[in-house]
Amino acid sequence: MTERTVAIELKIPDNEAYTALTALQRMDLDVDRVERSEIWHLDDAGDPATLAARVEANAAIFNPNKHRLRVLDGHAPRVGEIWIDEAGEHDEVREHLGGATIAGVSRASRSVGWRLYGPAGAPASGDTLARAVEGLLCNPAIEKARYESE
Amino acid sequence: MKRRIAVLVFPGTNSEDETLRLLRDCGGEAELVHWSRAQRLTDYDAYVLPGGFAYEDRIRAGAVSAHDRMMDDVIAGAISGKLVFGICNGAQILLEAGLVPGTGPVRRPTAAFTDNGPVPHFVCRHVYMKLAIDPSRCAITAALPNDAAIPAYAAHGEGRLAASPERLQEIVAGDHLAFVYAHRDGRIDAAAVPNGSALGCAGLVNREGNVLAIMPHPERDGWNFNHLDRQEGNDVLAPSGGAALFRSFVDAVNGR
Amino acid sequence: MVNPPASRPNVALSDDELRAIAQHLRREPSTVELHAFDAQWSEHCSYKSSRRHLKKLPVSGANVVLGPGEDSGILHLGEHDGERYGVVVAHESHNHPSQVVPFEGAATGIGGIVRDVLCMGAQVIAVADPLRFGRVERPHSHARYVARSAVDGIGAYGNAIGVPNLAGDAYFDEGFDDNCLVNVVALGIVKESEIVHSHAPPGADGWDIVLVGKATDPSGFGGASFSSVTLDSSDAESNKGAVQVPDPFLENVLMRASYRVFAMLRERGVVAGFKDLGAGGIMGCSAEIVAGGGYGADLNLDDVNVAVDGLPPEVIAVGETQERLLWVLPPELTASVVGIYNDEFTLPHVAYNARATVVGRVTQEKRYVLRHRGAIVMDVDIEFLTGRIDDELSYVEAIRHDPGHRELPAVDVEDVFPKILAHRDVCSREPLYRRYDWAVRGTTVLPRGAADAGVLAPVPGSTLGVALSVAGNPRYGRIDARAAAELAVLEAVRRAIATGARPLGLTDCLNFGNPHKPERYGELIAAIDGLGHAARELGLAFVSGNVSLYNESKSGAAIPPSAIVACVGGFRDVSRVVTPGLKRAGSALLWVGSRELAVGGSVLAEVLGIDGPLPEISYDSERAAIAIVETAISAGVMLSCRAISDGGMLTALARLAFDARNAGRRLGAELDFGNPLCEAGGFLCEVSDEGLVDVSGSLKVGTTIGEPRLVVNGTSFDVAALYDVWSKPLTEIYP
Repeated sequence: MTERTVAIELKIPDNEAYTALTALQRMDLDVDRVERSEIWHLDDAGDPATLAARVEANAAIFNPNKHRLRVLDGHAPRVGEIWIDEAGEHDEVREHLGGATIAGVSRASRSVGWRLYGPAGAPASGDTLARAVEGLLCNPAIEKARYESE
Repeated sequence: MKRRIAVLVFPGTNSEDETLRLLRDCGGEAELVHWSRAQRLTDYDAYVLPGGFAYEDRIRAGAVSAHDRMMDDVIAGAISGKLVFGICNGAQILLEAGLVPGTGPVRRPTAAFTDNGPVPHFVCRHVYMKLAIDPSRCAITAALPNDAAIPAYAAHGEGRLAASPERLQEIVAGDHLAFVYAHRDGRIDAAAVPNGSALGCAGLVNREGNVLAIMPHPERDGWNFNHLDRQEGNDVLAPSGGAALFRSFVDAVNGR
Repeated sequence: MVNPPASRPNVALSDDELRAIAQHLRREPSTVELHAFDAQWSEHCSYKSSRRHLKKLPVSGANVVLGPGEDSGILHLGEHDGERYGVVVAHESHNHPSQVVPFEGAATGIGGIVRDVLCMGAQVIAVADPLRFGRVERPHSHARYVARSAVDGIGAYGNAIGVPNLAGDAYFDEGFDDNCLVNVVALGIVKESEIVHSHAPPGADGWDIVLVGKATDPSGFGGASFSSVTLDSSDAESNKGAVQVPDPFLENVLMRASYRVFAMLRERGVVAGFKDLGAGGIMGCSAEIVAGGGYGADLNLDDVNVAVDGLPPEVIAVGETQERLLWVLPPELTASVVGIYNDEFTLPHVAYNARATVVGRVTQEKRYVLRHRGAIVMDVDIEFLTGRIDDELSYVEAIRHDPGHRELPAVDVEDVFPKILAHRDVCSREPLYRRYDWAVRGTTVLPRGAADAGVLAPVPGSTLGVALSVAGNPRYGRIDARAAAELAVLEAVRRAIATGARPLGLTDCLNFGNPHKPERYGELIAAIDGLGHAARELGLAFVSGNVSLYNESKSGAAIPPSAIVACVGGFRDVSRVVTPGLKRAGSALLWVGSRELAVGGSVLAEVLGIDGPLPEISYDSERAAIAIVETAISAGVMLSCRAISDGGMLTALARLAFDARNAGRRLGAELDFGNPLCEAGGFLCEVSDEGLVDVSGSLKVGTTIGEPRLVVNGTSFDVAALYDVWSKPLTEIYP
C-alpha cells in the first residue's frame, strides 16, 4: 500500500478562486492571483498511471469536461501553498466518493489546496499565507491548515 | 415611528422574498437591500440575513459573505447593540463573521454550522425549534413564552453545529444555546435533530443577546396556509406558527 | 463567400438531408451551416418524426392562455385584485445526459426548464421531477449510481436557485437500466397582461439581439444531436463532452436580474422578446426568436462573451453552454437592460466573463447570417433553417399484450400487504425528496409528499392556489402503450382532484425508443392517441410537452413505453384544500370510481408473479367519480381523500392513516372489501356525511376507528408497524 497524493484542478475558469482573490484583496493582503485544487490523499496498491486512470474514471469526483488531474510528487504543500484539511478522522473511502469506490484504493481523504501569488508572480509570503488562513481560508472549529513558505 | 429593518441580499441569497413578506406581515418596516446598491446600511435599525447560498458557499458556507462590504456595517451595528437576525445561510454568515457565539474576535469563527451528520447530505424536514434560554436572555426572543416551540423547516446541507470540546463547553456555559430541535410535543431526543448538530443546536445567541443565528426557516411555516394541521375557519393568509419568532423580533426592533 | 468544409464533419444529418441542404443553398454548406442544420433538424429541435402525430393532441380550451409553440404553455388560474393570473408550465426531459453524467445531466435539466418558464416573464414558483431508474438493488451498479447522482444534481440545482420541488415520482424497473428517465417540470406565475413572448414583437426590425449569461465554452457541443441517438456504454466517455456544466449560482442571479428587467419593461410599457438558449445554442435560439416574428438576423460571433479564446465558430454558434438567455430589445432600452445584468446584478463578478452583451440585430430580410473574424460563416434562408421538416416513418400498430388471465386471485392479505408497502414502486419516497428543498419561498400549502399533488399559494395576499401532479406507470406501458398513456392522464388528473383542485390543463413528455424501428414508432403513435383521447374525454388540453426518443441501448433494449403526464390544477380559494390524513373516528370510507377490477400491471400482480389485463377505462364512470368527489369537497363533507394508484385501495388507506399518525392523530380504519389491492383507479374518501354523496357512484367500504389499526376483512395491522415497513426501503439507496 502506497500513499499517493493527487491534485484535481479545474480547466474551466475557477469562480471560487476568483472570489477568494477578491476577498483576500478586501482584507488588504498582497495577493495577485489565486489557484485552487482538490487534493486527494489515497492509499493505493497500484502504480501512479493506473491510479490516475481509475480516478479519472470516477464520475463522482472527476468530470473530464471540467477537470484535469496530476499525481503529485510530494505529500505536503509547496512553497506559497496552503492545504486545508478536514478536522477529525475521515478514512471512509465511500463517504468521500459518493458511494462509489476506486479499485485498489483502501483509504481516501481530501484537502483543499490554495496557491497564492504575490506581485510579479512570486509565491506569497509566509505572513500573507498566515493572514489568509486565519482570516478567510480556514475555520479552526472544523478545519486544519498547513502551509509552506520560504 | 417604526424602526427600519434591512433584509440583506447577497448574490446567491434565495429566501429574501418570504422573509421580507413575513417581517412586514408581522408589522416590521422592512426592505430588501441589494449587494451592489448597498451604499450605506448604517441608517437601518436592525438587520436580517435570509437563507440561500450567498456567494455559492464558496470557500465555506458564509465565509465570503462575512467579508462582504455590507457586513462591515452589520458588524459595527451589532457591536453598537443593534439587533441582527440570521436564518440558515444568514446564520452561517453570522458564525463566520464571529458575531455568534461571539466568543472570539470579529471574523475569527469559533464554531461552524457545517456538513450534516451522520450522512453529509442536504435535508429538508419539518422541525420544531424549542427555546432553550430564558426568553429575556435574547432581545429577539423576549416576547416568546418559556419553552416556546417554533415550527419551521430545516433545509440545509450544512447545519450541524461543530466546534472543539472547549468551545462547545463555552457555548453551554455562556448560555449561547438559544434553540434546540424538539418534537411537536416538546420532547428532545436524537430523532428530533435532522442533522446531527452538537448539543441538538438549532440556534445560537451572542453574549449581549442582540444577535441570533438560527438554522431552520420559521418563515416557511409562517402563515396559516402553510400548516398541514391548520384549523378550519381561520384566515388562511394570516401569519401564525413560525411568525411568533418574527413578531418577537419586530416587537424588539420597534421597542415594544 | 461561404467556404465549404474540407471533409464531411461528424454530424447526425442523413444523406438525404445533406442533399436537401446543398440543393437549397445551391452550394455545399459551410462547417457552421452543417452544424446549424444538424442541431436545428435534430429530433430534439424539430420533432420531425413526432410532429404529424402530436397534431392530434387537444391544445386549446377555455383555460388555455397560451398553447404549445413557445418555451412554455400558460393556463388561466384566476383573478386577484383585478388582475388575471396565469400559470406558466413547461415539461422536458434530460434523459441522455443524465444517463452519461447523472449529476450534471439532471442538474442542467432543472436549469433549462426553469429558464423556459422564466423567459415568459414569469416568477418561477416550483419544479417537479418524474424519474425512472433501473434496478438499484445491487450496491455498485451503474443504475444505483445514476439514481443517486441524478437526485443529488436535481437537489443541488433547485435548492440553490430557491425554487421548491413540489411534485414528482420515481419508478425503478430493469427497463431503465441503460436509459434512465429524468423528466422535469417547472411552474411559474405571471399576470396575463405581462406575458413576454419567445419571439420578436411586431416592429422589431433593427432591434438589438442581446445575449445574457454564462460565457460560452466548448461544453455541450453537439447536445441536440446527441440526445437524438441511441446510447451505448462504450459511447459514454466520448459523450461526456456533450453534457453541460451547471452553475445554479449564476442562474439564481440571472433569475432575479430578469425579474428586475421585467419590472423595468412594464414601467416603460415596452414589449420585447425573451427566450432560453437550449438545443442549438445561440444559433437555435436567435433563429427561432426572430423567425417567430417573421424576421431574419445578423449576428457577429466575435461579440459573444467566451470562456476561452480560439473557439471555432461552429462551437460558439451551436454549443449548448448553460445559463444563457436571449433578449430582442429596442435599441433605446438596451443600455438599461445590460446595466441591470452587468452592474446592478454584477454578472461579471458572479461567474467568469458572464454578462449581457449585444451580439447582433434583427433584420427585415429573412436571412440568417453569422459573421466571424470579418467573414460570413453562415448565410441561409431563415425559413428553410427553422421551417417544419417532417419524417414520414413506417410503423406497425402497437401491440396490446393481453395475457387473458382475467380471474382475480385469492390473496392472503396478511402476507401480501406488507410486501406491497415495501415494494420499490410503493414505499415512501421521502428518503429521495428530503434531499430537495420543497419549502423555500414560503408558499407551500401541501408540500412534496404530503398528498397526491403539491399545492402552493403563489400570489402574495391572495387565496389563489396552484396544484401540480405527475403520473406515468411503466408497468402499464409495458402491457399497452396506448392504455398506459390514457391511464397516465387519468391518474394525474385524479391526483390533482384528490387535493380539491380544479384541473386546468396538462403537459406531457413522451419517452420512447428508436422511431426508425416500426414497433417503437407504433408505440409512440399509440401513446399520443391515448393521451389525446383521454384529454378530450375530460375536456383538458396539453399546453406544453416534449418528445424524447432513442431511449434504447445499441443492444436494442428499449425502455418501457413511457408517456409521462403532469396535471396543473387551480384553486380560487386555497382554504378549500383537502388536508392530509384521516381526521376523526366514526366517519365513512367511500370508494368512488370505476367498478372494473383487474390486476394487470399492478404491484399485486408482480408480487404474486401473475399477469392480467389492464383495468378497462370507462370515461363515463370517470367523469361521474370526479363529479362526486368535487361535490363532496364543495359540500364540506370531504375529510380526507386519496387517489387509488400503485398498491391499490388498501395502500391509499394506509397513506391516509400514516398522514394522520404524522399529525399526531391516533386513527385507523376497518375496511370490508373483497379486493383491496387491485389498482382499479378511483378515489378513497373519508366523509363526514355519507348521505350527501351520490350512492350510485360510490360504495361504502369501511369506517374510521379511534385506534391506529387497519382491520381488513378481519385481518388487523398495526399502523406504526406498517409505517415502518413502508418508510424504510429507499433509505438504502438514499441514506
